[in-house]
Amino acid sequence: MIAAAARSAWIAGGLSLAVALLIWFTPPPEGLTVPAWRLFAVFAAAIFSVIVGAFPIFTASVLAVAATVMTGLLKPAQAYAGFANATILLIVVAFLVARAVVKCGLGQRLGHLVVSLFGRSTLGLSYSIFLVDGLIAPAFPSNTARGGVIYPLVVGLAEAGGATPDNPARRRLGAYLMFSGMVSLSLSSALWFTAMAANPLGAEIARSAGVTMTFGSWFVAASVPTLLAMALLPYLLLKIMAPEVTATPDAPAAARKALTALGPLSGGERTVAATFVVMVALWASAGTFGLDSTAIAFLGLGVLMATGVLTMGDIAKEGDVLATFIWFAVLYTISGQLNEMGFMGYLGQRLAGALGGLGPLPVFLALVVAYVLLHYLFVSQTAHVLALFAVFLDVGVKLGVPAVPLAFTLLFASNFFAVITPQGSSANLLFTGSWYLSQGELYKLGAIATVLSLVVYLVLGTPWLMLVAR
Amino acid sequence: MTRTRLLGLVLLALVAAMAATRVSGQVAPSADWRTFDGTWSASGQRQALPTVDGRPAGTFQLSGAIALTSGVGLSRGFRGEAIGYDNGAGVMVGHCVWTDERGDRVYSQLRSETVAAGRLVTGTVTGGTGRYTGLTGEFTFEWQYVIEGESGSISGRAVGLRGRVRGGGRAQ
Repeated sequence: MIAAAARSAWIAGGLSLAVALLIWFTPPPEGLTVPAWRLFAVFAAAIFSVIVGAFPIFTASVLAVAATVMTGLLKPAQAYAGFANATILLIVVAFLVARAVVKCGLGQRLGHLVVSLFGRSTLGLSYSIFLVDGLIAPAFPSNTARGGVIYPLVVGLAEAGGATPDNPARRRLGAYLMFSGMVSLSLSSALWFTAMAANPLGAEIARSAGVTMTFGSWFVAASVPTLLAMALLPYLLLKIMAPEVTATPDAPAAARKALTALGPLSGGERTVAATFVVMVALWASAGTFGLDSTAIAFLGLGVLMATGVLTMGDIAKEGDVLATFIWFAVLYTISGQLNEMGFMGYLGQRLAGALGGLGPLPVFLALVVAYVLLHYLFVSQTAHVLALFAVFLDVGVKLGVPAVPLAFTLLFASNFFAVITPQGSSANLLFTGSWYLSQGELYKLGAIATVLSLVVYLVLGTPWLMLVAR
Repeated sequence: MTRTRLLGLVLLALVAAMAATRVSGQVAPSADWRTFDGTWSASGQRQALPTVDGRPAGTFQLSGAIALTSGVGLSRGFRGEAIGYDNGAGVMVGHCVWTDERGDRVYSQLRSETVAAGRLVTGTVTGGTGRYTGLTGEFTFEWQYVIEGESGSISGRAVGLRGRVRGGGRAQ
């Protein structure tokens, strides 16, 4: 059994190397430089190796960065630039703050509280995540920061349900709740104009094509498809992921009992709660006061360390955070360099440009589907919007697609495609780093959830947009 | 030599010179202007410094994909890199390099009022390498949008990239 697994890992590793070599030694297509093509070879092979189970994403990433520097594709300063990226640092610090919420018991208390209100079923717990996230989302332009708020709640819910990554009897329950958190962040970002940094950027680009988007018009356009997706996806994912426990009629009463047993808030819980409330308030007002989201997270972590809620011993145990930091910074950088070398723009131009001669509806569908699929190559939603949104909008309008529905649909897609890969958005990382879900499961579930959202937005959202957003 | 014969020789020389000029034009097609058309999506960094009149001066560095939809003798796409200086008072100058899949390059100089949406940029092609050696020409494009992000990041898309070139080798 073990020998067979080792053999298949070797085969998968060999296949990954073959993918890298095949692309590397194939002449680049007209219009692409050799360095861009070879960097794509490294990136594609790294992602391929994770999908086929040759390596964990961490191993694939460190091999990739070593290859890019040692072959001279990237200078060291370029290759390691992601390690100084503010958003990636925010994820690391949010991980540590979330650990404080769990350590002091506040996470479990919050979990019991939510279970006491919504815990008659696992589906109810999932909806509670979507509800909380959907309500706070318009105040959080950084969906990564919002993940820092939602993640401790999801951990608390999982632990209140007895689901820990090392408990095989309840692992799928934890996995379902974690993936619900990821999908919720992606859909709440699509619901509100101000719930994701790239939404206003996209609106500014759309304005240059004559499309005006405001907070109100965005909400009206997004409301029907997004709320439907929020209603459908928890149910469909429940059927697909089949958590061990689905009906828990006694759970609310048990949760109330557990809350009583916990007694009043401890000193540590009070400190963490106060720190967290201040952090949330600062994150929500960061745009207004020009505050940096990462600095706010550092401030919160500093307070938790200074008050002794977190100790250096706690930090030393967080090796997973270091692993996440390294692999995400590497993939973020390689994807960004591919974009700077013109690879993303080239691919988008070529794909979009191949649609001449089709009618407006096929063009619309093909553009949206291609736009979503191209997110396999991106490690940032904002980078994707800046690289491809204008190209796809421009091509669609020239081929007769109405600009307003196309612009809105592409920007909604820029949010819901975040879960297509574990690295598709920095907001995913807190959940993917929780160890409830393997990398293989994340790719599979990410593809399923993205297709489900795509169907909802195309089938139900398009007629709605034609009706309200002319 | 009689006057008639001299006149005949002069006329013959004139006709020969005109013929030579015409033939020369026919056998050297690389001297013809060839037009091209495309777009450029670019991202990079901008650094700014305040000036006495309050308008910041700055440098920028951009790179991204140039996609050409027409243009005889040029690749269908290039990696476009530009570096420039905007004095904050309405003058931007820069240098641009286009690199194709063979590594052959087209060099140009850029000039415009400033780097901002709706601004027209003019470029002068000053030469190249490989199949673009000796290439000269000119082009213009307009920034469809220019968006500044965090930490000095900048993204933009140039549309209406149109121009003409002559000289250089012909692409296969």
